[in-house]
Amino acid sequence: MKSEVAVAPADTAAIPRQPGWIRRLLRNKGALVGLAILFGWIFVAIFAPMIAPYDPTLTVARARQAPSAEFWFGTDQLGRDLVSRVLYGSRISLSLGLISVTLGAIPGITLGLLAGFYGGWVDTVISRFVDALLAFPSILLALLVIATLGPSLQNVMVAVGVATVPEFARLTRGSVLAIKALPYVDAARVVGAKGLRIMVLHILRNANAPIVVLATLQVGAAILIGAGLSFLGLGAQPPTPEWGLISAEGRQVLRKAWWISTFPGLAILSVVIACNLVGDGLRSALDPKMRNS
Amino acid sequence: MTRYLVHRLLQLVPVLLLISVIIFVMMHVLPGDPAQLILSGAEGGAAGPERLAELRAEMGLDDPLPVQYFRFLSGALVGDFGESIRFRVPVSDLLMDRFASTMTLAVAGLCWSMLIGVPLGMAAAVRQNGWIDAVAMTMSYLGAAMPVYWLGLLFILFFSFDLGWFPPAGGGSIRHLVLPSLTLGLISAGIVARLVRSSMIETLQEDYIRTGRAKGLGEAALLWRHGLKNALIPVVTMLGLQFGGMLAGAVVTETVFSRPGIGRLVVDAILSKDYPLVQGCVLFLAFIYLCVNLFVDVLYAWLDPRIRYEK
Repeated sequence: MKSEVAVAPADTAAIPRQPGWIRRLLRNKGALVGLAILFGWIFVAIFAPMIAPYDPTLTVARARQAPSAEFWFGTDQLGRDLVSRVLYGSRISLSLGLISVTLGAIPGITLGLLAGFYGGWVDTVISRFVDALLAFPSILLALLVIATLGPSLQNVMVAVGVATVPEFARLTRGSVLAIKALPYVDAARVVGAKGLRIMVLHILRNANAPIVVLATLQVGAAILIGAGLSFLGLGAQPPTPEWGLISAEGRQVLRKAWWISTFPGLAILSVVIACNLVGDGLRSALDPKMRNS
Repeated sequence: MTRYLVHRLLQLVPVLLLISVIIFVMMHVLPGDPAQLILSGAEGGAAGPERLAELRAEMGLDDPLPVQYFRFLSGALVGDFGESIRFRVPVSDLLMDRFASTMTLAVAGLCWSMLIGVPLGMAAAVRQNGWIDAVAMTMSYLGAAMPVYWLGLLFILFFSFDLGWFPPAGGGSIRHLVLPSLTLGLISAGIVARLVRSSMIETLQEDYIRTGRAKGLGEAALLWRHGLKNALIPVVTMLGLQFGGMLAGAVVTETVFSRPGIGRLVVDAILSKDYPLVQGCVLFLAFIYLCVNLFVDVLYAWLDPRIRYEK
């Protein structure tokens, strides 16, 4: 009894037991910076009504005031406070990133899982379809969806989601093919596990590392495409404080008021860089091949 | 080589067919009646059901879907994409009108990204972990995370408004081309640099480089003649992908710089619910993209004989 207590070294108590990849992720400087920025924006998004000095859709001052002590980012063409608009914009961009990636990941992963697991004609049909979609710049796919559904923020989420389906399908199919050949899958089959159980419990759970990495990177990409579409007038509509849309509105008065278009762009840049840093960090933390490099 | 070329050309057919099906299905099966869209958009919304039925008949929307698809496909094969609802001229005329402008922009953007990315990547590979390496890495991170339209606006602010070097908007002359193409090029230059860097580092460890050094070749000759030539092979494969990025970027850039082109055309078509024009633009852009990728594959096979003989 006594010896058991003595065996545990004193310092292990201070380090909580974590799966190895979390520790590796937190040791990566880039990923830490990315996580800090992301958590910062998530905080801003949740507490925007408390942090933002003004209502983002109300005229609170003279139009097109340059940045000052009172209005840090200046005011826009309608006299709305730009700081408030940019802060509120994080709610839209972050949810756009998360929702559209979820919308793309669920059908994508399902298709890839079915194709990789069943093989044969199921695989042929799905893979041909996915290849055709991949042979297509994803922006075109997104534009097609918006052309059919009409321009709006919700439809941009659907459009960007649809455009990411083929990527998830291809990646999942590849991982499933590799894992399907492993002995423990045969073992599961031998003890009588059925198709769905093997697919989800034994294959998908072990194939999730690359999928998580792709999803993280895709959140950034989705935010970028979504803002681009809103900039073109195909997404969020005024007076929504969407970052791409704010830049588009500022473009009309760019010569007189540089700040309107500039600050929302900086916000996007920081969020997307953060997603990419975390994605890269996750990749090297989760991928055993990169562990030594 | 001829066999390889024929083989690749034949592969293009099913992909194009599938893409045409996807475009057709998206435009016809998803919720949203094109005739309804046209009436609510172009003709002011207050149209009765008679007008709707009339328009549906006029557009052939009452025919069975396979018949409609066949009509769309046989038209597209001879370059007939129907008539634009908004402009009342054949879609193909509009595409031909804007095609040159968009291609010029995309090719110029690609040139910038090579001109900046390749030397930067080489310098980063030669001086690993030096300051040039840091610049290249930073550029690739920024390029991957920067909204294209935003960089374009910054360029207009700086080069047009502050310095007055280039016009902020319009198309036609070389001076109009500089800022939009540089915007596209810079966005992808970082990615190119990253690829050149890793490929160059690998190449410089090859035996033939050591042999060259042993027989007394200068570092410059090693780098430029023997290193670069081999390091560029994987870069070539990425050209096609980069070109796709240029086309995607053109959709945004043409709006930022008010430059006529297919990208601007398709956005306007979506906003004005001109659905034959949307269909034509997307199919045409996809076709161009596939052709460029085919060209890149052939170029790759020509550069690297190993690919040619494998198949």
